[in-house]
Amino acid sequence: MSADVSDLSLVRRVQRGDKGAFDALVLKYQHKLVKLVMRYVRNPAEAEDIAQEAFIKAYRALPQFRGDSAFYTWLYRIAINTAKNAVVSRDRSPIEYDLDRNNTDESYDMQGRMKDPDTPEGLVLTDEIRTTVNSAIEALPEDLRTAIVLRELEGLSYEEIAATMDCPVGTVRSRIFRAREAIDRRLREVFEGGLGRVEELG
Amino acid sequence: MNEELDSQLSAMFDDELPAAECELLARRLSRDEQLKARWGRYAVIGATIRAERGVRLNAGLAGRVSAAISSEAPLAAEPASQPKKRWDIGWWQPLAGVAAAAGVAAVSIIWMRSQVLPDAMPAVVQTVVPAIAIDNRTDHRTANTPVAATVASATTRGNTGESDSYVVPKNAPRRLVVPSTELANYVVAHSEFSSPVTRRNLLSSFMASESGTAGMSAVSEEPTEDVQDDAKIPQ
Repeated sequence: MSADVSDLSLVRRVQRGDKGAFDALVLKYQHKLVKLVMRYVRNPAEAEDIAQEAFIKAYRALPQFRGDSAFYTWLYRIAINTAKNAVVSRDRSPIEYDLDRNNTDESYDMQGRMKDPDTPEGLVLTDEIRTTVNSAIEALPEDLRTAIVLRELEGLSYEEIAATMDCPVGTVRSRIFRAREAIDRRLREVFEGGLGRVEELG
Repeated sequence: MNEELDSQLSAMFDDELPAAECELLARRLSRDEQLKARWGRYAVIGATIRAERGVRLNAGLAGRVSAAISSEAPLAAEPASQPKKRWDIGWWQPLAGVAAAAGVAAVSIIWMRSQVLPDAMPAVVQTVVPAIAIDNRTDHRTANTPVAATVASATTRGNTGESDSYVVPKNAPRRLVVPSTELANYVVAHSEFSSPVTRRNLLSSFMASESGTAGMSAVSEEPTEDVQDDAKIPQ
């Protein structure tokens, strides 16, 4: 299987004017991109802002993407450059201290809380998602758990997993799909019904 | 939801779906919000398994990007035509450079040869006379220097031996005639951007002229009376 074929099919759709295909690319790579940017900035909210900027830059630059490299490699380069520029411009900017801010500007505080991932609500939700996924993985039959972990944690291809687990590639594909379905059933409850606060995944 | 479709979605997420199926599913994925939500949850599952600490799993990032992009004009590029365009633009540029370089080289060589080797000049003048040898000997014999030596000794002022020009050092080795071999070397050394065909033609012409010059040199190696009389260079 040629690598990056699914990304490329989405990229081609975006290049032909299909914005919905870009949503799929953002959904797929948002977490990886934020994690990458967090090597340059410690603040998760700032990392998300930079990742958002990187995605928008990537969208605008997509007409120039010819597929010479993998899409995610190209996207990561944009994110790294954006993060470096953000760090440089932040270091040049003077730090503003507003001693009266807490007393006079409540809207600033609200905005800050909305962007801050460490608000109690954000922490609870993220923790609940993690707990749900982890417990679902624990409940999986061993062959399904091994297949999904080898895929997601080790990044092995289906062929490599098949060699590791000594089974056909088709079986690997089926095991990974069934593992995802089992986890997704539990996860959907959290997103749709559980806390009632997650109207979107992104 | 169709189980086969979900299975394909899972494989596509892992880049393990055949290209033809990817094309069809990508179209559906971009339009089907339910499918897109499932795709997003697959990403959350992966992020959780990788224990990406500090990454919010419900950050709303995708929604913000989507909102920002919705205000932008859709892309309408033709990606397939772009590489061809670049290739079309690029291929003739090196050739144009090569042609220009070869043209300049050819013109300058022809000009140099016409300056240095006028047809009327006797063959004996084409003998290479190092200026340094002449400089050391022209102090007392300037009046009797042959044509070649006269030019070389123009760098000296009278009998003082002082340099007439600060641009050309007094003892700088100068040659009145550049032999074809050196011209050929010069062309080879500066033919980085010339085409092999042009270079070969030039070199062939040099070689042809070299053989002619060699004949003349053979003649000039037997000093004529004029040279012997006029130069009077002490041995």
